[in-house]
Amino acid sequence: MTNHEGPGITRRRLLAGAAGGLALALTGGRLWSPAEEAAAETGDQPAAQPLITHVARPLDAETPSQVFTQYLTPNDQFFIRSHFGPPAPALVAPASWRLSVAGLVERPLSLSLDDLSKFEEVSMTAVVQCSGNGRAFHRPKAPGVQWETGAVGNARWTGIRLRDVLQRAGLKARAQHLQLQGADRPVVASVPLFVRSIPLKKALHPDTILATRMNGAPLPLLHGAPLRLITPGWMADSCVKWLTDLTLQAEEARGYYMETAYRYPSRPVKPGEVLAPEDLKPVEAMVVKSLIAFPKQGATLSSSAVMVQGVAWTGEGHIEKVEVSTDEGKTWEQARLVGEDVPYAWRQWQFLWRTKGSGQRTILSRASDDRGQVQPMSSPWNPGGFLWNGVDRVQVQVTEA
Amino acid sequence: MSVHVRPQKPFLSRLMTLILVMVGMMGLPSFTMGQAEEPTTDQQAQRLLASRCSVCHSQDLVQQQRLPRDRWEATVTKMVHWGAQLDKEEEAMLTTYLATYFHPEAGPVVALPAAPSIQADQAGRESGAAPTPGGAAARGASLYKQNCLPCHGEAGNGGVGPKLARNPILTQADRFRTTVSQGRGAMPPWGAVLRPQEITDILAWLNTLHD
Repeated sequence: MTNHEGPGITRRRLLAGAAGGLALALTGGRLWSPAEEAAAETGDQPAAQPLITHVARPLDAETPSQVFTQYLTPNDQFFIRSHFGPPAPALVAPASWRLSVAGLVERPLSLSLDDLSKFEEVSMTAVVQCSGNGRAFHRPKAPGVQWETGAVGNARWTGIRLRDVLQRAGLKARAQHLQLQGADRPVVASVPLFVRSIPLKKALHPDTILATRMNGAPLPLLHGAPLRLITPGWMADSCVKWLTDLTLQAEEARGYYMETAYRYPSRPVKPGEVLAPEDLKPVEAMVVKSLIAFPKQGATLSSSAVMVQGVAWTGEGHIEKVEVSTDEGKTWEQARLVGEDVPYAWRQWQFLWRTKGSGQRTILSRASDDRGQVQPMSSPWNPGGFLWNGVDRVQVQVTEA
Repeated sequence: MSVHVRPQKPFLSRLMTLILVMVGMMGLPSFTMGQAEEPTTDQQAQRLLASRCSVCHSQDLVQQQRLPRDRWEATVTKMVHWGAQLDKEEEAMLTTYLATYFHPEAGPVVALPAAPSIQADQAGRESGAAPTPGGAAARGASLYKQNCLPCHGEAGNGGVGPKLARNPILTQADRFRTTVSQGRGAMPPWGAVLRPQEITDILAWLNTLHD
């Protein structure tokens, strides 16, 4: 499989046309968009460049890749992944909201936002990425939201260290895992709650934070207001939104979202092979990955010199290089790493492409990190369709300048 | 949506259905046929998708999947386990439908069977009761419980969806009917699931709520 778009699949969501036409018919000419509706309900401003909606309810929407020409992804253009959608605003009203710290602790705590504001404030730029980002490119297709490239973003998170809060509660010796739960609830009570846990080592890491602000603004409701966890370098499954309950436990959390979902095989598996949960381990660190932000898929270029731009990031390591190929991977040339270079954030890159002749061309990008990880042409198949990091690919039309 | 024609149907009845659909779409007074068809199993499965699955998620989530039959079986079984209201027969019908249209070899756009026309459908189904122009609140109560309660709450007091008890829309019957049958915002369209009389019955029951 050399074309990760798969046969006949383009990045333009073909279904969107039909659905859009229907929506237009139903709304008497104004195209309704779930993101707009969510914005109307939450008081957030609708985005200038709308997100690409995969699921209208609960809202799952990704960022168009051209937004990634910016170092920081704006709050209103940041991807949205919902298991159940945001809790009713009353449930996360700042005045009545509490964070509970319980389980294997010396002193159970119930902290208000005011209590939390008394801890030392820290800020950090970090990539947040859904572990299903790129699922649409796996062959055979894996079940789940068919994210393409944009279930990822880079934002500046401000809050307090989780470690400081846990130390205030005092940990008992048997505490090995931290269970996390937010205020969101399923429509039907028989649906399992979104309960996750992280090993204590990650919980006590000084860079793991309880964030109340995103890119300098209060955390928007769709992104977890008033409080969400940020586990930098890890997939976003543990970045629990609307966080209300921390429970110290001896074991990993029980339940569907820890025991069944968000798990990755601990050995290579054949496509279609169905595995027992014990053959799988929870998704944790991100893998090395790059995206092309400019030019965009399907663009027509009439210049003999094009500045290709993009971003690259990895889990707990450091991006060492990004390479670009314009001949289907036969030869690779090194791109220039530019801009900020800080742990957990993505790195911007540029590549001056001298186009030759005219016709359809494909640009590929491939990142490598200091842990020896290199983006493969195609990622290993796994039942959940997680951790896709195959080289990014953008097709453009080059015309004579 | 492209019309999926089943070859075993007699040509004349297909033509009559088509005429009914077109008449219905043009909003002209339509005539009723004595022998309209039952909705096909595909159409019944589409109804289940709209009424039982859409309680928790919109149908786009389903339509973007391309899974083999055993994965669909596992998925539907999981959903029933999580509370989807499907009996054994409905579960089998829905699984077959999903495996037929959303399989790994299906292309990026799937042509789905058209929803049955309301007129043809009403003529062919037992209405169960004489038409009640003002709506029958007792029937409305049970219809509400089956279809609306998960989002709009026990006594219309709201939840994921807005509060309906004493909602101003209850005084605007036409707008209420349009909203229910065509959907609005996050609310899915119920026109393929609820007949006009059933929507009127639900409205009658909602108008009995006083909190």
